[in-house]
Amino acid sequence: MTCRQMDNMISSRSGNSPLPPEAAEHVAGCQRCNTLVRLLDENIETPSPSHEQLKRIQAAVIEDISPVRPLPPARIFLVAFALIFLSVVIVGSIRLGVNGWEVLRMEQKIAIFATLVASAVVLALSMVRQMVPGSKHAVSPTILPIVILVALLLVIVAVFRSEQESAFVMNGVMCMRNGLVYSIPTALLFWMLLRRGAILFPKLVGAAAGGFAGLIGLSVLEINCPNLNEYHVLVWHWGVILISSLAGVALGAVAEYIDRRKNHWIS
Amino acid sequence: MQSGESASASTIPDIEQLMKQYQQADPAAAAALVELLSPQLYRFFACQMGSRTHAEDMLQDVWLRIHRVRHTYRPGEPLLPWVYAIARCVRVDSYRKRQRILSHETAADVLPERPAPKEKTGTFLPFEELVASLPESQREVLTMLKVNGLSIEEVARATSTTVGGVKQKAHRAYERLRKLLDQAPIPQGARQGVAQ
Repeated sequence: MTCRQMDNMISSRSGNSPLPPEAAEHVAGCQRCNTLVRLLDENIETPSPSHEQLKRIQAAVIEDISPVRPLPPARIFLVAFALIFLSVVIVGSIRLGVNGWEVLRMEQKIAIFATLVASAVVLALSMVRQMVPGSKHAVSPTILPIVILVALLLVIVAVFRSEQESAFVMNGVMCMRNGLVYSIPTALLFWMLLRRGAILFPKLVGAAAGGFAGLIGLSVLEINCPNLNEYHVLVWHWGVILISSLAGVALGAVAEYIDRRKNHWIS
Repeated sequence: MQSGESASASTIPDIEQLMKQYQQADPAAAAALVELLSPQLYRFFACQMGSRTHAEDMLQDVWLRIHRVRHTYRPGEPLLPWVYAIARCVRVDSYRKRQRILSHETAADVLPERPAPKEKTGTFLPFEELVASLPESQREVLTMLKVNGLSIEEVARATSTTVGGVKQKAHRAYERLRKLLDQAPIPQGARQGVAQ
């Protein structure tokens, strides 16, 4: 057994239960592990809260007690997110047209929309899990929005080529406006859904909700916009997700601030 | 390392059931939960912040926060990761608040990354002093694992990370502790054999 394997054993060992034979053998021969195990095995008498304090806490909790309705199951939220995603993309495609879809080559369609759908699924799962503290996460919610932004950026760079474009800014502003028209109201809708659970980490939930809404805006644009210039897609389409995510963080920060002011009741 | 009070979910009777009753406004369940979980939460804060006064304040804060967000607990899910995720949040908020206050009081440009040195109350043993010298994330993982007796899976949930991430942090913490133990005076009897 190595010191590294010993570390995993120490982590998974509860209390000062007996060491497995191979670990005991290692500890007997390794002075550093021996000292570490001894230290961790000691039953340290840390101070405990006073009886009076516990009584005060119990009194405060009981005084304000009332029944609460637990959050609905995760699947309800996931279905709601999926319905919102599909509804907004369909409405956007009907209103703005499907010119973009028609000019995209098959491999571009697959790369772009597969990434969009995968990102939406992962973000939706992350949002739902963030609503319940202590949930299991496959990817840290802190880095997930960044991972998705980078993944989309790479896909766009990989599947589009730079082209000559005469009215880069004018066309782009129109596209971005179209994207934001669909993503911002959707972000607010998500916020309404998430707000009961977004109490502990509102900025993180805001980033995820904004990112998700941005994915909807980008999907609408990819279906609608026939401009395949790499820089146009990068700046004006991908920018929708970036702006939505940042707006989500800002909204979360505002919610956090309001919540802190409102609940400044801790004595 | 672990005392009777800081037991994991397996040894605390029906805390999930108590939480469910607490959500339904059962005062006895709420009082029982406060009684059962407070000692280990207190220990978590004391080990993290190194001060009894701050630990007491944070214990109060965490219960009021738990009370406010109790609807976010889904019956059937493990309770301890939920509680510790909230406790982490309280600790971070409290630390930021203290930093703000300290920056106003001392006008210091740079504040220490770790909590202030421990009060000389005589209650902290070498383990706490050694742990206090670890980076915050490692200290947190080590405290949850060895002081509060959470499993690796529970720590991963509470810290919104993966099992691999927890193992990595624990490994780094042990490595650092080994180095510190090489330099620091060893508690009496520590160089003798280990209970097998």
